[in-house]
Amino acid sequence: MPQMGVSVAEGTIVSWAKQIGDPVQADETICEISTDKIDTEVPAPVSGVVAEILVDVGTTVEVGVVLARVATGTPPTAVAPVSSASALANGTPTRRYSPVVQRIAAEHGIDLSAVAGTGRGGRVRKQDVLAFVQAPPEPPMHIESPYRPDPLPAAGSGQLSRMRRQIGAHMKRSLETAATCTTWIEADMTRVQAARARLGVTALSFVAGAVISALREHPQLNATLEGDRYAQHADINLGIAVSLGEDGLIVPVIHGAHELSVEGLAARIRDLATRARSRQLAPDEVRGGTFTITNPGQYGSIMATPIINQPQVAILDLEAIVKRPVVVTDAEGNDSIAIRAMTVLGLSWDHRALDGALSAQFLASVKGVLESV
Amino acid sequence: MATETAEPAVGPTGYLDLEDRIWLLRAMLLMRGIEERAMSLYRQGKVPGSFYDGFGQEAVSAGAAFAMAPEDRLCILHRDLAAHVIRGVTPVRILAQYMGRDAGITRGRDGNVHFGDAHLGCVGMVSMLPDMMLVATGMAMAFKLRGEPRCALTWFGDGSTSRGDFHEAMNWAGVQRLPVIFVLENNQYAYSTPLDKQFAVDPVERAAAYGFAGVTVDGNDVEAMFEATRAARARAIAGQGPTLIEAVTMRMHGHAAHDDMKYVPREQVELWRKRDPIDRQDTRLRELGVDVEALRAEVQTEIDAATEQALTSPMPDPVDAVDGVFAVGEAEPLGDGLAPWSGFAAGGAVS
Amino acid sequence: MATMTYLQAISSALRDELRADERVFVMGEDIGAFGGAFKVTDGFFEEFGPDRVMDTPLAESAIVGTAIGAAVVGMRPVCEMQFSDFISCGFDQLVNVAAKMHYRQRLAVPITVRLPSGGGFSGGPFHSQNPEAWFMHSPGIKVVAPSTAEDAKGLLHTAIHDPNPVCFMEHKHLYRRIKGEVPEGIYETPMTARVARPGSDLVVVAYGAMVHVALEATEDVDGASIEVLDLRSLVPLDEEAILDSVARCSKVVIVDEANCTCAAGAQVAALIAERAFEDLDGPVVRVATPDVPIPFSPPLEQAVLPSVERVREACRDLLAN
Repeated sequence: MPQMGVSVAEGTIVSWAKQIGDPVQADETICEISTDKIDTEVPAPVSGVVAEILVDVGTTVEVGVVLARVATGTPPTAVAPVSSASALANGTPTRRYSPVVQRIAAEHGIDLSAVAGTGRGGRVRKQDVLAFVQAPPEPPMHIESPYRPDPLPAAGSGQLSRMRRQIGAHMKRSLETAATCTTWIEADMTRVQAARARLGVTALSFVAGAVISALREHPQLNATLEGDRYAQHADINLGIAVSLGEDGLIVPVIHGAHELSVEGLAARIRDLATRARSRQLAPDEVRGGTFTITNPGQYGSIMATPIINQPQVAILDLEAIVKRPVVVTDAEGNDSIAIRAMTVLGLSWDHRALDGALSAQFLASVKGVLESV
Repeated sequence: MATETAEPAVGPTGYLDLEDRIWLLRAMLLMRGIEERAMSLYRQGKVPGSFYDGFGQEAVSAGAAFAMAPEDRLCILHRDLAAHVIRGVTPVRILAQYMGRDAGITRGRDGNVHFGDAHLGCVGMVSMLPDMMLVATGMAMAFKLRGEPRCALTWFGDGSTSRGDFHEAMNWAGVQRLPVIFVLENNQYAYSTPLDKQFAVDPVERAAAYGFAGVTVDGNDVEAMFEATRAARARAIAGQGPTLIEAVTMRMHGHAAHDDMKYVPREQVELWRKRDPIDRQDTRLRELGVDVEALRAEVQTEIDAATEQALTSPMPDPVDAVDGVFAVGEAEPLGDGLAPWSGFAAGGAVS
Repeated sequence: MATMTYLQAISSALRDELRADERVFVMGEDIGAFGGAFKVTDGFFEEFGPDRVMDTPLAESAIVGTAIGAAVVGMRPVCEMQFSDFISCGFDQLVNVAAKMHYRQRLAVPITVRLPSGGGFSGGPFHSQNPEAWFMHSPGIKVVAPSTAEDAKGLLHTAIHDPNPVCFMEHKHLYRRIKGEVPEGIYETPMTARVARPGSDLVVVAYGAMVHVALEATEDVDGASIEVLDLRSLVPLDEEAILDSVARCSKVVIVDEANCTCAAGAQVAALIAERAFEDLDGPVVRVATPDVPIPFSPPLEQAVLPSVERVREACRDLLAN
């Protein structure tokens, strides 16, 4: 059982990709594991034939326990615990990139592990990275909402998945712990819509940028509260909720988000979302958040009451951007009705840590930034 | 055509006036003086690479070059410095050339006597001997194609007669009856190889086999060299084809400065020392009342001044090392050289 | 414009030069009354006479050496090697006398040496070689290798007008196989590369006969967009054109009919490695004749010369990479 982060002590076998007698290549996935930090694939450390499987699916064992043995022709080698979490976190098989692919990736700030390869053996070719640059996959951003419709019975009934159980426990703990309030504000996104079209990025990237700016102004919201211990943070580590479809959701964190431009944020969001879906996130990439954004708006919903991602003190919800008739006032004070792209921004905040006035000021800051893009 | 092989040595003739005869001595003195100075600079470490000279062979290049008109073209070998002097290359440029200076004829691109001043109608030799026989043959071919009364001349050594290009040039020149003069500078040794290991038959006799004249000359008599070349040139201009002149001489120094010439019998050197070409012309002129001492002093002063100037001239700039591999623009053909012989001053070649 | 074979285009260039410039003459073995081994100078003897269409002795060193002599006194000789293979006998004059002349003493040597080269017709080890790389390694010699009738004529004019020694590699296999529109009169084709067919997924770099092999091989490789770059000149080598193609296509196949080691394509590969590394999306792939003398028997010869199939397979393999 590999060590998935310093604090992890045990892990559960989710599935075996190889069975006894199967040939396996070094770096090829041999099994999938789940820990309380992350779900991930385990690559075989050597090439050979699976000789023994020592831990069954569903069984939880301590870090360091031998999971399987691979016969290499010489004496069987244990699928040894990988001592460094980063060795696994860098993606399963070691991928090598051609010079031109690396250059294009560097120029566009692309994490190549997010790019699907169409070359021989899945090699990322020039056309793959160019396609990625031209049409980056739009990762679905989801709110972690208790109001999500239940899975249809037809989709199958039975015991909840491990991830669903973990999400549920986490959400319930938040509601039980925090004094959750939700405040809404309306924002005119017309300028953002124009800018995002120009830059080829999502509105979410702009909202992230606006949130960072507002957190700078109101650092009381860039904080964590654990018991009675309230801590404001200098760095803004922005969590972005990513839907994993029926499996659930995960909140990868953009560490040092305050150092990124809107384009930089867009690239990071794209990258994290893609890798989240392919279960290639490193443990460090899902922890340490100081504020979270969730974005269910793409499905047309206009309002929600998000649950705070513990131990943070607030979460911002971006809803659908819809065109509406709005009263606008010109420089001379004349009113008229105009068609504007509007959205509702919702902020759930912990009344233990702050009060309504501050949360309203925070939302006003976000709105101000967005309307003056 | 009738061929003359192994013709007896040709003696001094009436084509040279006193000024011409002084000029011939002067050219030989300049050659010897410059080479002695260069050897001294070589020993001082101021001449890089190796050093070759033509000590004892001065008459071969001086006499032959003196018979050539300004519009004639020459491919000059490494023991023929007097030919460069006669065509107009100044001592300072020659000394700068030896020392690899920018003022040298090749601006440091090539060393020692590997040079020819294109503006003076000369092409520098390459080390593959006798490659220049073919180049001279080609020049003569062009003259003939264009119907011009000019000729080309080149020097080469006894060792060169063994190589294929000797045959190709002799054959081609014979087939096309070209106005070219081949001067075989027989100095007894090709590096350390003596004549009996180089050829079984005196190569001058081959001329007949190629269909043209072969003449043997005392290569240590500058006036005999002049006359043999003048006659060969007259034949060439008259459309009578090439001439092979075998100038019999002796290489009095080693192949190069590093060669102590142990393989040469002492008696052979002593014998040829008595035939020194400069001493011979010196004696002739003294008998005619020429102040040879004054001429020698004048030449020495010129060389001293040239040495000083060459020593202070700059080395080439390393950034130029890659320049000039290719010609750009219209190709400029060889120019005309100087031709101090009074026969040309009179308004054309005397034949 | 007139339609000519590659061979007729070469003849046309020579004829136009002989008519236009009295300094120009052609020399070689059997080129006079006989008209040359490949009939490039057929009819020249009658028009220009024996002085300007000069039958020489069987002496390649003399052909090059005398051409040098004539050139430095103002002529513009065009030498014909009966087969490029025989230039080895004139090698010394070319690489030591002609090539180094201008560098050493600023004396230009405007000679053109025509080198009928290449294999594909059972010429055997002494009538099939592609010796261009020998001259690429001798500073001072320009080397051109046309692939079309138009370029054959234009590059021959350029070569004759150039003040330097130029090796004109004319491919025997193209002589009567390749036809094309050729402009009237004297025109100069620059010593630069030419995009024979534009593309974006992969570039095949070739010259001479291999341009046609490359074009045929890449007509349709699984629908990929394949560029063919015809170098036309090897010295000077059009480095910018090569780098430009590589920057756009990122995958490169280099085809040489010459023996592989140190061939022109090796220099192209080195250039790309040095200056286009970050443009590459795969290894630089070479297709060339292995390092063997060109064999005589057809199955043996076909086994070593780069074929349409080999080039296509190399492209397909690289594209899939």
